[in-house]
Amino acid sequence: MTGLLEIHHLCKSFDTVKVIDDFSLEVVEGTLCCLVGPNGAGKTTTMDLITGRIKPTSGKIVFASDDITGQSEHEIARAGIGRKFQVPAVLRDLTVRQNLAVAYSRQTNPFWNLLRFRVPGLAQKLDEIATLAGLTHRLNERAGILSHGETQWLEIGMVLMQEPRLMLMDEPIAGMTESEIEKTARIFKELRKSTTLIVVEHDMGFVREIADVVTVMHMGSLLAQGTIREIEADPRVRAVYLGEQEAA
Amino acid sequence: MGNLYYNKTAQWIAYAAFFAALAIVPMAIDDDFLLNQLATYGVYGMLALSISLCWGFGGILNLGQGIAFGLGAYGMAMTMQMQTQTESNPIPPIMLNNGLDYLPFLWWPFQNTAVGLIFAVAVPTLFCAVFGGIMFRARVSGPFFAIMTLAMLSAFYTIILDQQAYTGGVNGITPPAPFQFAGIEIEPYSPLAYWTVFFALLTATVIAKLITQSSFGLVTQAIRDDAERVRFLGYGVAGYETMIYTISGLIAAVAGCLWVMLVQYVSPAQLDVGFSISMVIWAAIGGRMSLIGSIIGAFVIQGAQSYLGDAFLSTWLLILGGFFIIIVRFLPNGLASLLEAALGLLATKKKTTTKTPRESNCAEPVPAE
Repeated sequence: MTGLLEIHHLCKSFDTVKVIDDFSLEVVEGTLCCLVGPNGAGKTTTMDLITGRIKPTSGKIVFASDDITGQSEHEIARAGIGRKFQVPAVLRDLTVRQNLAVAYSRQTNPFWNLLRFRVPGLAQKLDEIATLAGLTHRLNERAGILSHGETQWLEIGMVLMQEPRLMLMDEPIAGMTESEIEKTARIFKELRKSTTLIVVEHDMGFVREIADVVTVMHMGSLLAQGTIREIEADPRVRAVYLGEQEAA
Repeated sequence: MGNLYYNKTAQWIAYAAFFAALAIVPMAIDDDFLLNQLATYGVYGMLALSISLCWGFGGILNLGQGIAFGLGAYGMAMTMQMQTQTESNPIPPIMLNNGLDYLPFLWWPFQNTAVGLIFAVAVPTLFCAVFGGIMFRARVSGPFFAIMTLAMLSAFYTIILDQQAYTGGVNGITPPAPFQFAGIEIEPYSPLAYWTVFFALLTATVIAKLITQSSFGLVTQAIRDDAERVRFLGYGVAGYETMIYTISGLIAAVAGCLWVMLVQYVSPAQLDVGFSISMVIWAAIGGRMSLIGSIIGAFVIQGAQSYLGDAFLSTWLLILGGFFIIIVRFLPNGLASLLEAALGLLATKKKTTTKTPRESNCAEPVPAE
């Protein structure tokens, strides 16, 4: 069985510094993969490489049997990869409703969109996602005035509106309260039934709660991969990552 | 949340009222000179509208709108000039005076009125599509794009000034007769000329308004907010930017044609940097996020310039500059934001008096009028 996303021998150097060094990963459809690792391990860079924000120095990224290496951001997004950024990136001058509506990007052709005033299926989908994200009462507010937790939820909502086959979530629970984190975990587990997720997260409690597979990165390459139990028992992982965290 | 300013129905009613007021003007005014002057304001309104669309909604600051306006104006002047040439006198005087005894290739399309008009509008539009396409694909944006448009404008200005035999140089082109279309003469100092501009402005405004309310308009506003983020939603940002820039250029080109129809004259001054910047100032003062605000901005500034400019002479520029600074500092979204704030205040007051804070369905805050 081949994975939905396959990364083969990915390398990325900035000048002489190797940020990603021969990194390979396979994510099977319908699983939730957590990407962990200490600061500077290359997790966000990996996200940038998958979504086309930066181009790899060498290596190959295959999504749903198509080679997407070197394609531009919007082509990769159209292929079915949605992304939530580490620093929540929402359209701050637009309303919550408009943010969600823009993210519902079934039709991306500017000519067709010039002639579209009512988007079929949008109202229902928007209602569903707004309810899920708990933003129903905030729909007409400008996104810029939302609290940090709400902004996180709005961006998760935007990714959901895209209905991608693969969701990349970069630190989705940063700045959330305990109950919000619980809710996120519940929703992610629900999402896994219909889609595939890669979640970058520091909070090991959250990772333990949601992950099917945990991938540990260190110094730009793969350190270990397995279930949370295997990872926590791995002495190398303990040395570079978990140990550090306990010491902190 | 019931601010009337965001209510789409209320917006359309405001537009209807605005154009109804403009339609009454020729019935109320008997002075043909004044009517012609008001019609030129209508052309300036179209230019401000085009800037509002591109800058206010698309976030693309364009300091070179004079390119589209100027090329459209030259195309129209060439068409009108060729209308006055006869079998026995086929070469316009500007060529004869500059030692050309044949009609240059550049002028050929303008021998036929319909083809000439199509060229007058299509050439600047195509220029915007190609220039914009190259720039936006290379992800040139913000101040860098503004500088590129400025450089392009100066280049066009210099070429037109320099090629005297083809363009009339600094004197420009002065077609001796009014524009004729389908056997009808559109005399500049006539209600017919006013109505022509009126319908062009009405059409451009309705189309621009529909664009801002379409899915395309929503994506454009999202790009204005954060182009980088919009890419990850699957939209080809360059295509959207090129499109809004081109539509804006098309409107400016039509404005250029109408302007020559009204004044029977064109010169490199229409591609002057100062004039293109004036267009941006109209939109900024009126409110770039509001189409109608920008149009009114053009009316107010140009109207004030015509009347106060005579009284204050060069001091007028100081007054305009001071006014511009005040607007930028205290009303960054222009005069239109005054109305927005007033209606917002009214909405909150109503809410507190009735004490039934309910979700209003019609309140659809688009950050635009």
